[in-house]
Amino acid sequence: MLVAYLLLAVVTSGAVYCFRNRTATLLSISLFLVGQTVLTVYAFCHLNERDCTYFTFDSLGVILSSVLTILSFATFYHSYLYLGRQSDNKRNKSIYYAALIMLSASLNGAYFAEHLGTLWSFIEATTLCVAVLIYHDRTNHALEATWKYVFICSIGLAVALVAILCISIASSKEGVSDLNLSTIIAHAQGMDTIWIKITFILAMAGFSAKMGLFPLYAVCVDAHTVAPAPISAFISTTLMNVGFLGIYRMYCIVAQTDALPWANKVLMIAGIFSMSLAAVQLLKVKHFKRMFAFSSMEHMGIVVLALSAGGIGYYAAIFHIVLHSFAKAGLFYQIGQVCSVYHSYVIKETGNYMKLNPLGSIVVILTFISVTAIPPSGLFISEFMMFKSLFAGRHYFVAIVALFLLTIILYVIGKRLMHLLYYKGEGVATLEPVKLNNYETFSQFVLLGLIFYLGANPPVFLTDLITGATAILK
Amino acid sequence: MAFTLIILLELTLLYLAFTERVKRFIFILMVQGLLLFGIAYLHLKQVNTLEFTFIVTETILIKGLLVPIFLNRLRKKNNLERLAHSKLPSFVSILAISAAIAFGFLLSEKIHDNDLQSKFFSASIAAIITGIYFVIIHRNIFTHVIGYLIIQNGVFLLSLAVGNEFPLIVNTAILLDIFVGVLVLGIFVNRVGERFEEMHIDELAQLKD
Repeated sequence: MLVAYLLLAVVTSGAVYCFRNRTATLLSISLFLVGQTVLTVYAFCHLNERDCTYFTFDSLGVILSSVLTILSFATFYHSYLYLGRQSDNKRNKSIYYAALIMLSASLNGAYFAEHLGTLWSFIEATTLCVAVLIYHDRTNHALEATWKYVFICSIGLAVALVAILCISIASSKEGVSDLNLSTIIAHAQGMDTIWIKITFILAMAGFSAKMGLFPLYAVCVDAHTVAPAPISAFISTTLMNVGFLGIYRMYCIVAQTDALPWANKVLMIAGIFSMSLAAVQLLKVKHFKRMFAFSSMEHMGIVVLALSAGGIGYYAAIFHIVLHSFAKAGLFYQIGQVCSVYHSYVIKETGNYMKLNPLGSIVVILTFISVTAIPPSGLFISEFMMFKSLFAGRHYFVAIVALFLLTIILYVIGKRLMHLLYYKGEGVATLEPVKLNNYETFSQFVLLGLIFYLGANPPVFLTDLITGATAILK
Repeated sequence: MAFTLIILLELTLLYLAFTERVKRFIFILMVQGLLLFGIAYLHLKQVNTLEFTFIVTETILIKGLLVPIFLNRLRKKNNLERLAHSKLPSFVSILAISAAIAFGFLLSEKIHDNDLQSKFFSASIAAIITGIYFVIIHRNIFTHVIGYLIIQNGVFLLSLAVGNEFPLIVNTAILLDIFVGVLVLGIFVNRVGERFEEMHIDELAQLKD
């Protein structure tokens, strides 16, 4: 099934690139989205089944693929509107859509990868596709961000490949000749702890470039700042999720060994450092997209902190990843609309948004509530569970530091967004309300609705999937 | 024989510390590609046509020919002759790379693992550290690509040291990713050369608050 899907992605992206007319593009994208939906449904119906030797439809893969499918629909729609507002350069548009299709396909390949080599190659493929998308505007800033992203991610992933080779050393001692995740996990208990620790630290460092986590967080921030708004929405969610997946797969191996407490400490340090750096940077941020990029970094810090706490924290980590994806995507889509009103992402150049775009302002308020985890946001539930597991594990100091950092972050984001909504100073008071496409805002309401609904009443299939994804850790 | 090739490869790493000419960097990468072919060929327990073809493609064709030719075209297009923008004098670099080679030997001796081919392992550690060092000390983005390729050569050696082989299809996917990655990096090096006066990382530091 996955090979058919990947072939479909290659064919549709090729068609988009070659034909370069509206009908062929819409048809190809629609076909791809149908394929993507079918794959997700198929994976859900064939849970824990192998597919073409190198893939398995496991619970975490299904969860992340479902998030990807939902966000793909929204991202293609917002991209269509975004590109419509830009110059009529058919070549650039076709490259954009083709790269977006290939990015989605690579992400799905990574989500379902069973073999560690396959996982690595699909994650590396996402870097190459993202490079094309970040560079879409062809500005000097885009060039800088793209270069940094491709180069640092390539170095990071080279380090992750070394990690995979290290786990290969550890597993060969146990007589394991392949690098399939399930086989390695089954034999992990007897593996040499030193090799396991080396593997985890290298994988953590390498995949942190993708997840936007300390230490290689900076490239993600630059990429999210410069990329077109729909792409920022897509990569600050689905692409960060793939970084999480890489770390989580390695964590599942470590969890079977005596190195687990040590790995938890590593995750805790990475989480606290990420949150601290995000809080400090947020205090001096002047650009909306940069602010939300640092917010994503903070959320990734929360996710690894939840993972390190164990217990209910495992559930919280995956639940948080899902909800954060919807919240951050909605926010970035809305920031795209903000830019079409002010022609700028600079905070100082905005204000009075409540009058200029009332519907968009409601989205801003709701996303603020969601992103900062204020009840009834679903993210409040996941963060609450994270703190519960931290206190249950007697990590009082970490929990208090995290609470302090979250308070700073809430204050900064709140202050900046209130400036956007209500500031009536020079330059913005005279601006006339802008007529925007209401359907554009509709997709954001759907995503926000999902956050509130999933938080208040998570459906059984979702809780089952999350429980299934974390079962290996218990 | 394999030992001789590994020593030659480590000498190429040391040579990187002496030279400032871009042509020489590219030449070293070409030599490393050919040496890696020799090492990988000698590592084969039995010559299987498919495996042999893959090794020839990875080492001679891609690492030894295509990538150096591509980098040479980039060099000519951007008039890159000498890259003396390292923060440190050559003497320090020679010491650092020698230390990396010594560290590789000591580490493999310390680990002393029967499942690990220590001669490959020591050289791979030396190459990875040298590549990272090369990226850190140079301020020109072209040399960063060279550093990245040296790291990849180190990873290739590490895969030989491990002994646990990836399936051919996975190996092909990894090779393709790395090759396309180098092409993409090269394209962006070119773009930076067109847009900015120099290919310094200082030119690429505008994105900040």
